[in-house]
Amino acid sequence: MPGAYAEFLGGNMAMKRILGALCAATVLSSAAFAEGYPERTITMVVPFAAGGPTDTVARLVAEKMSTDLGQQIVVENVGGAGGTLGAGNVAKAEADGYTILLHHIGMATSATLYRNLPYDPLGFEYVGLVTEVPMVMVARKDFPAADFPAFVEYVKGNADKVTMANAGIGAASHLCGMLFQSAIDTQFVTVPYKGTGPAMTDLLGGQVDFMCDQTTNTTQQITGGTIKAYAATTPERLAIFPDLPTVAEGGLPQMEVSIWHGIYAPHGTPAEATGRLSTALQFALADPGVTKAMADLGTAPSPAADATPAALKTKLETEIARWKPVIEAAGVYAD
Amino acid sequence: MSAKPTDTTDAAAGVFLILVAVFFGWQTTGLETGTSLRMGPGYFPMVLSALLLIMGVLVLVKSFKGQGERIGRIAWRGLIFILPAPIFFGLTVRGLGFVPSLFVTTLIASQASVRMKPLPALVLAVLVTVLSTLVFSYALGLPFRRFGPWLPF
Amino acid sequence: MDLLSNLALGFSVASSFENLFFCLIGVLLGTLIGVLPGIGATATIAMLLPITFQLEPVSSLIMLAGIYYGAQYGGSTTAILINMPGESSSAVTAIDGYQMARKGRAGIALATAAIGSFFAGTVSTFLVAIFAPPLTIIALKFGAAEYFSLMVLGLVMSIALAHGSILKALAMVVLGLLLGMVGTDVYTGTPRFIMGVREFSDGLNFVALAVGVFGIAEILRNLEDEHDREMVTNQVGSLWPRREDFRAMIGPILRGTGIGSILGILPGGGAILAAFASYTLEKKVSKNPKEFGHGAIAGVAGPESANNAGAQTSFIPLLTLGIPANPVMALMIGAMIIQGIVPGPNVATDQPRLFWGIIASMWIGNLMLVVLNLPLIGLWVKLLKVPYYILFPIIMAMCSIGVYSVSSNTFDLYAVAFFGLLGYAMTKLRFEPAPLLLGFVLGPLLEENLRRAMILSRGDPSTFVSRPISLTLLLMSLGVLVLVFLPAIRKSRDEVFIESEG
Repeated sequence: MPGAYAEFLGGNMAMKRILGALCAATVLSSAAFAEGYPERTITMVVPFAAGGPTDTVARLVAEKMSTDLGQQIVVENVGGAGGTLGAGNVAKAEADGYTILLHHIGMATSATLYRNLPYDPLGFEYVGLVTEVPMVMVARKDFPAADFPAFVEYVKGNADKVTMANAGIGAASHLCGMLFQSAIDTQFVTVPYKGTGPAMTDLLGGQVDFMCDQTTNTTQQITGGTIKAYAATTPERLAIFPDLPTVAEGGLPQMEVSIWHGIYAPHGTPAEATGRLSTALQFALADPGVTKAMADLGTAPSPAADATPAALKTKLETEIARWKPVIEAAGVYAD
Repeated sequence: MSAKPTDTTDAAAGVFLILVAVFFGWQTTGLETGTSLRMGPGYFPMVLSALLLIMGVLVLVKSFKGQGERIGRIAWRGLIFILPAPIFFGLTVRGLGFVPSLFVTTLIASQASVRMKPLPALVLAVLVTVLSTLVFSYALGLPFRRFGPWLPF
Repeated sequence: MDLLSNLALGFSVASSFENLFFCLIGVLLGTLIGVLPGIGATATIAMLLPITFQLEPVSSLIMLAGIYYGAQYGGSTTAILINMPGESSSAVTAIDGYQMARKGRAGIALATAAIGSFFAGTVSTFLVAIFAPPLTIIALKFGAAEYFSLMVLGLVMSIALAHGSILKALAMVVLGLLLGMVGTDVYTGTPRFIMGVREFSDGLNFVALAVGVFGIAEILRNLEDEHDREMVTNQVGSLWPRREDFRAMIGPILRGTGIGSILGILPGGGAILAAFASYTLEKKVSKNPKEFGHGAIAGVAGPESANNAGAQTSFIPLLTLGIPANPVMALMIGAMIIQGIVPGPNVATDQPRLFWGIIASMWIGNLMLVVLNLPLIGLWVKLLKVPYYILFPIIMAMCSIGVYSVSSNTFDLYAVAFFGLLGYAMTKLRFEPAPLLLGFVLGPLLEENLRRAMILSRGDPSTFVSRPISLTLLLMSLGVLVLVFLPAIRKSRDEVFIESEG
């Protein structure tokens, strides 16, 4: 579909148009597809810097998927603009199954956070869900409240004194923070940082009061006793912290949130390719090594039923709908 | 103080600073300055633009007094061939692929010197391309397409 | 004693045949990639990270650490030989190192850098081993107000980077600060100065800026008078430092090591200041500050030691808190996670082999580097004999690859061309690039921490003087200002802004 494809060329440069036309032509000419796929190296674009939590997830599954596919998957990091640059690149790439995207919840939230995205977040082909990373509400280790209900009470009662850190607009911690503010219907001061590292440092040093972040970033600090954990944002208690209550137990079920990761392909990628990739993804997620590595991060691979195109499509659509009002109510936009 | 700047380089430097300050100041106008609790995105740039403007004026004023070296010769040939090299690489590395793109980039850059004859330039470009491809693409495994989709093969 | 047994454990891990091998591979790869123009430690690690995923956790981290300081060595080499820094720290080395090279003292500059780095590396490795836990506490005491005051001190010190007009140097700092603002505002998500180019929404790429204003501007300058005279084929003088050179470098190396070790501990920008701070100090204590900017050996010895010491101690927050002090450390954390080790406050107790193994390998790696690099100096210096018209197309090709490899962003390449033009215009107008670079690096930190401090203090500016560390830093800034301007005030009015024009 060269016509629909051209819509993705939001760029204003003639070069991009030429490139797009050439790509579209290639797609059309390679009609006889399927049989041998994949025949060469597949590029998995991660729209964040190398070494970050999303990159880590990508590299974990990419390696095992390569084993199943019999072809190497190389991870390419195209960081920037909250993941929208990398996603934009994939939207414009050839829809031949050799360029795929691994993105997290930002795929859904950027639809509202960015008011002029150069691509349609719903315009991708789907491969499947990879993992859903839980989040934990944590505070500096001398924070007065004893448990989650007391914590909520304290925040409500001292709204003019408490400070909540987040890792920047659109970051997981920012999303969770917005949910928390709307769940307890209280305004307090939020302090944005450039990334989780500095935010966590200030939390450890007691410069800010609390934060809600992925287990990837919080687990080691919690077990080390350098910060206090109040609640997990999952429906069930976490396997690594069986004593930690959930937000629903604490009376705030609307705060349930996880940082889910999915794999996508450019619009028009043949179903044979996405189907094959989906099988490879299920293979990788069933691998004990992957399970173990994810468990260390406080998360688990998505079940095989979720590692499918249909499940990811549903997830993305419901999440876009869920976050739209939250973000609009907060009135924060990233552009 | 004479009517003409005695230090022409500094006069140009002052004008340069003023222009840059005006540019940034103009770009800042749309940004909120905010309050002292929540300084807006425009607060800091506004202050900096103003500072830069003052400095530009000072440099310009002082240029009417001091003496300095003249600007001197400008490397036009260098500008014409050096600057487009990375731009060409940027425009074509995805489309043409790493190998042809780097080859042409090196060739363009090599033309910046009058001493570079066509044949040595070709040899140099081939060598640079072959070695870089071996090192970056094969040995280090960087995710570059060696030959891109613009090429028929 | 605990420390001794821990170190013994560390050395037994690090000196296993396998780990020695990977340490060597790491420093070799790091040096080789780092020496390519326009590619610094961050780009090198980002590029080589996937290679390490297949190894044992300890080996892979030892190798990564090796790549890191190997790349720093390599980066200084390029800064000295062709004025092409790949990191903010080597930008300082470039100032006097490159001038030394132009005067035929490239070998001595390289040897000074190697010796200084080795000494600093040795001292700070032991600092890490002995003081890691207590030093962590200092790092945690640094809040937004303290960082703001530290950045103010850094900016004040940047005046000393100038060897021409102080006014014009200050203007460059301000321009650098403004360039540092380009990108998305952390607090509101508002894009600033990006001219509709989404690719710049995370800010301008440091490597693109440094390569442009230093390296490409220098290439263009060298291409200016091709018609009249021989291309600047640098003469090659003696390779080894003489007795008086050694005497000139001892003080700077000691002071640089001290400054670097302390600043390196601070996560979020401390280490960036180390090289700049050392340069300032050396220029202040020097008997002939006019030498600076024209090939002062102290201008290489001090910053190089500071930079290497800071590089080592920046492992402290990583190892004791699991918090990255800079982008390289963030990459290391990613590598650890992939290996199934989630860094945090427990690494030292849960993984003593890993923790002490890495610390011991730092020293071994530094030793390897000095052994490796001293003989290589001869080779690097020979490189200067290659005719310039052959050298610079290679430099341009390497820069293009290096800049692109950081985040596969083609706009970074366009930025290289733009900053090359800007840098050339600046040299023509007698502006210096080093203050610009410092402003660029510190700008975002300065603004971010000012605004954060004001948010945390609920808009009360007295937070900067009521917090003791912050107050001390501000008083130090004041002291530096007085030191700089007092002699100037005594001079006649006309000379106020002109210090050693030359």
